[in-house]
Amino acid sequence: MNVVEINDVYKTYHDTEVEVRAVNGVTLSFTKGDFAVIVGPSGSGKTTLLNLIGGLDQPTTGEIIVAGHRLSELKPSELIDFRMEHVGFVFQSYNLIPVLTAAENVGFIMSLQKWPKEKRMARTGELLEAVGLADRHNSRPSQLSGGQQQRVAVARALAPRPEFILADEPTANLDSKSAETLLDIMEKLNREEEMTFIFSTHDARVMKRARRVITLEDGKVVSDERTNHRE
Amino acid sequence: MKDRQLAWRNLWRNRKRTLITAASVFFAIFFALIMRSFQLGTYDKMYSDVIRSYSGYLQLQHPSYLDEPGLDNGLILDPELTRKLEQDPNVEAVVPRIESFALAAAGNRTQGVMVIGVEPERESKALNIRNRIVRYKLTPGAVEALKGEELPGRLAKNTELFAGEAFTEAEDLMSVLGISKKDSAGLLPLLRNHTSFPGSYLSAGESGYAIIGNGLSDYLEAVPGDTIVLIGQGYHGTSAAGLYVVKGVVSMPNPEIDNRFVCLTLDDARWLYGAPDMATSAIIAIKDGSDKVLTATQQRLGAVTGEDLAVRNWKEMNALLLNQMEADNRSGAIMIGILYLVIAFGVFGTVLMMMAERRREFGMLVSIGMRKGRLAGIVGLEMLLMGVIGVIAGVIASLPIVFLGHLRPLRFTGEMARMYEDYGFEPVMPMLLPDTYYLWQVVVVLLILAVAIAFSIRKIFKLNVINALRA
Repeated sequence: MNVVEINDVYKTYHDTEVEVRAVNGVTLSFTKGDFAVIVGPSGSGKTTLLNLIGGLDQPTTGEIIVAGHRLSELKPSELIDFRMEHVGFVFQSYNLIPVLTAAENVGFIMSLQKWPKEKRMARTGELLEAVGLADRHNSRPSQLSGGQQQRVAVARALAPRPEFILADEPTANLDSKSAETLLDIMEKLNREEEMTFIFSTHDARVMKRARRVITLEDGKVVSDERTNHRE
Repeated sequence: MKDRQLAWRNLWRNRKRTLITAASVFFAIFFALIMRSFQLGTYDKMYSDVIRSYSGYLQLQHPSYLDEPGLDNGLILDPELTRKLEQDPNVEAVVPRIESFALAAAGNRTQGVMVIGVEPERESKALNIRNRIVRYKLTPGAVEALKGEELPGRLAKNTELFAGEAFTEAEDLMSVLGISKKDSAGLLPLLRNHTSFPGSYLSAGESGYAIIGNGLSDYLEAVPGDTIVLIGQGYHGTSAAGLYVVKGVVSMPNPEIDNRFVCLTLDDARWLYGAPDMATSAIIAIKDGSDKVLTATQQRLGAVTGEDLAVRNWKEMNALLLNQMEADNRSGAIMIGILYLVIAFGVFGTVLMMMAERRREFGMLVSIGMRKGRLAGIVGLEMLLMGVIGVIAGVIASLPIVFLGHLRPLRFTGEMARMYEDYGFEPVMPMLLPDTYYLWQVVVVLLILAVAIAFSIRKIFKLNVINALRA
């Protein structure tokens, strides 16, 4: 079952006098349980493609269908609700809310969705345990290491049970050990819960774990290979 | 996590910035309130001094009297009209008076004076001259005598500092000299012994006596028991001349009046000016002098008097003073405006800094599903809280100073006091108790905050999530 369908998508920027085609006729689809990475040199359009999939940006032409929603048909406010319900985001620089504890950060989207408190707390506990931070419930981001913060970010992204997780360079700021731990967790979630992960990365450690590697160059897909890392 | 909890925590994430912004709001409102309180308190005192010591709230006059004051534009008060006017619910009494000018002389000194003829008993309902009789005075003799006593240091210094001042009550004397209630029992007999000043008020039916202002008494060197000569022009150009024994000295709050005040009985004044049965005006003593009630009363009385007589309020009679105060008020408002402008820039600086600093966070919040409206609400609440902390702290901090400044007004001495007196004002700067001006200062600060909040809300609604995430 396709979670994401991208049909002949172009994204052109006119920021300067020169027209920049960041995404240049991409057609792709992601199925449930994918553990895919989008790789390519800087400026190849990885982050732009991720933004388009996540509904943060609109394609110039082409169509993106996520979980049955045609993103081009959604109004800005509907797009925000769409992201909250269907997409989990993990950012390069963690982007946790500094005034909230780890547990509050994880529960944040659920509180936006008005989950009942008990249900929210149970899910938060379950997720913090899954990312190995059961003992850091009340720690503020400033009291956590970079790796721990990114694990909280993963737990936050997973909290509302999204269709897939978009992770933009999630290991870029992490040391090897933290990166491996994080990838272990993500792999485990992918394997056990069939959670779809779509990464954009330069990191070989992520590529090594991926079961699908999509290579972009000048906004075009130049290769889309499936590997058997899980096995 | 409720929005208000999140806003409250965000407020303290950068404690220094919050405290600096709240402090700038605090100082803006604090200084604006103190400045305004001094300014309005001073106006209030000036107005009430003029009302209480000279014009009263309302006067009954000949229609031409305001433009050409004098006996020739006087009136003969009809007892039936007086009775009708006194039936008004806000009128206590209608008290006729003669008001004219003369030259006063005592010994080899002369001074142009304002002569007021009053009905001694009924007058107390209007201007209350009786309660202004000087009973204690720091005359040069009194100050010399007190130097010989063993007075505490500060009291000795204050005695010299306030030399020449006159007091109607012992409490006023003690207060000005800085004597506490605790010490007053021991010092009062001594002070009474040296500073008691003779004199009493006029009585109905007696003739040939005058009450004079303390400033005039000093200038003419005339004290109770001395005789002064009044020479002037009477009704229809007749000569006016008379000899009067000073019966008492009054301390008028307005120095201009204090230096030129001579009060006779109404009959003596009528005789002096050759104007039997006449009055130049009648003070209408009222119960409530607040603006609204005063205007309504004036309209009601105007309907009773018809067009033959005019009912004037204190503002019409003191237009020059009001204009001066209005000009001063505007300059004060400009000063406060500049103060607010500086603070507004400070607040905006903080807002810009905060918006730039948290741009990525805003981008992240919107990307994970927070609606921009909700985010704007949280940020607006943060700023409102920051401002409200400053406003509340500023208001609370100003209250004790304003109350103290009202109860113990700032009293100028030396050159500053002389400057005030030269302008005809008592050298005192009281503070006005909290009134609508407090509300206005709060409203102005909240408006500045509202503009800052509107700016930040606009920024949030125009936020480009992708650019924000790259920030």
